Amino acid sequence: MSEHIVSSYDQDLEDLRRQIAEMGGVAEKMMADATVALVRRDTALAQAVIVSDKRLDVLQREIEERSVLLIARRQPLAIDLRETISGIRVSGDLERIGDLAKNIAKRVLAIADQTQPQKIVLGVEHMSDLVQEQLKDVLDAYASRNLDAAHDVWERDGAIDALYNSLFRELLTYMMEDPRNISFCTHLLFCAKNVERIGDHTTNVAETIHYLVTGETLAGERPKNDASNYATVQPGA
Amino acid sequence: MSPTNSMSSALSGRNPADESAPVRIAVKDLNFYYGQFHGLKNVNLNFHDRQVTALIGPSGCGKSTLLRTFNRIYSLYPEQRATGQILLDGQNVLDAKVDLNELRARVGMVFQKPTPFPMSIYDNVAFGLRLYERLPKSELDGRVEDALRKAALWDEVKDKMKQAGTGLSGGQQQRLCIARSVAQRPEVILFDEPTSALDPISTGRIEELIEQLRTEFTIVIVTHNMQQAARISQFTAFMYLGELIEFAPTTKIFMNPDKRQTQDYITGRFG
Repeated sequence: MSEHIVSSYDQDLEDLRRQIAEMGGVAEKMMADATVALVRRDTALAQAVIVSDKRLDVLQREIEERSVLLIARRQPLAIDLRETISGIRVSGDLERIGDLAKNIAKRVLAIADQTQPQKIVLGVEHMSDLVQEQLKDVLDAYASRNLDAAHDVWERDGAIDALYNSLFRELLTYMMEDPRNISFCTHLLFCAKNVERIGDHTTNVAETIHYLVTGETLAGERPKNDASNYATVQPGA
Repeated sequence: MSPTNSMSSALSGRNPADESAPVRIAVKDLNFYYGQFHGLKNVNLNFHDRQVTALIGPSGCGKSTLLRTFNRIYSLYPEQRATGQILLDGQNVLDAKVDLNELRARVGMVFQKPTPFPMSIYDNVAFGLRLYERLPKSELDGRVEDALRKAALWDEVKDKMKQAGTGLSGGQQQRLCIARSVAQRPEVILFDEPTSALDPISTGRIEELIEQLRTEFTIVIVTHNMQQAARISQFTAFMYLGELIEFAPTTKIFMNPDKRQTQDYITGRFG
């Protein structure tokens, strides 16, 4: 893309890109750390995750203000307008991802002193690994305007939902096996739900990339495989 | 997964481009020469009935030249000539047999700087009517009032119709010129940067007016103000170096143009 005649316009857009990249980095790290903290019941790390959410909130506000100013000052059109709007959208998704990671960290504090079998946590960890990969891929796709990579992330969200669905059933089973598991498993279930939602926000970013690159919105059903909305388990079944 | 064109539905808003509207002006293989200089190169373009079409492009790209061919105002200058066809309702306006006075009554024009005649407000509007038609006083009064109302100027001038048109403010003068055009009951009104000499309030009034005039007239507007083109037009044509680069519904041009040159120009990247 050639440069604007007004060089400070390029600088404005560059600043926007840089801040989105920073937000992406913070969100990725929060999610990775929250997962490690969960697996290890590491309260210090969980505290660090909670603290770093503040930076994400500040960045999101700055991006929003910057974008509004850019619209007012420069009246961007075509690709510039799409990039500005996409910046606002993506920063919103990243901010939510931070909130969800923070929520996982808070639950780590709640269940830190519980000693359940580690295998119960492994499913959530596995799911989180998949979503972290999605998040990394979608942030790379955003930075490089890679439409194919974005579509790939979009398609893969169905697998995350399917995994969440099976995890949901698994955790219910643990709860039925031993009522002492209920508190722990309920928190884990929320953690898994948070991870699944982070996957949804990742998919949002993929849709934004589609808009950014093509100027069109992605229509049609998302690949959904979450049947947990309808799932029940019968005692003794 | 199926991408949809969001522009066609939501974004085009209250005044979507109507591509099925009949073609009022059809430009075919138009070439234009200023002496040796080839000002327009094989332009082919349709202007739809009761739609606003904006012509945009850098200075010297030929957009005003194109506008000036529609009522052959260029033929005031002997060294300027056009080849090809400009069909207004199927009739080629470049045909030597065309009555230029009649053509200019059918295709009105408003310029960048307001050009009121040095006479009263009333006479400014009645001027063209008196040239072509013999109307009784009462009917002439009615036509003048009607034109001033359509130009959203009536309420401001109805009590001072005998005062000089040149005594009005810039924005009022521009609306007076629009009234002068409208009085002839034209089919097409051409605007050549009609607001570039006006403040934002007067500009807003003219834009509002153009939106209303669109219900009756086919409008072509040359503008350097990208946002203005985006706001008031249904179709936009981007020209560069005498060629038509891209023509499409305005939302398409300003959200996601097909051509790289169009995008570079509207985003301020032209070197």
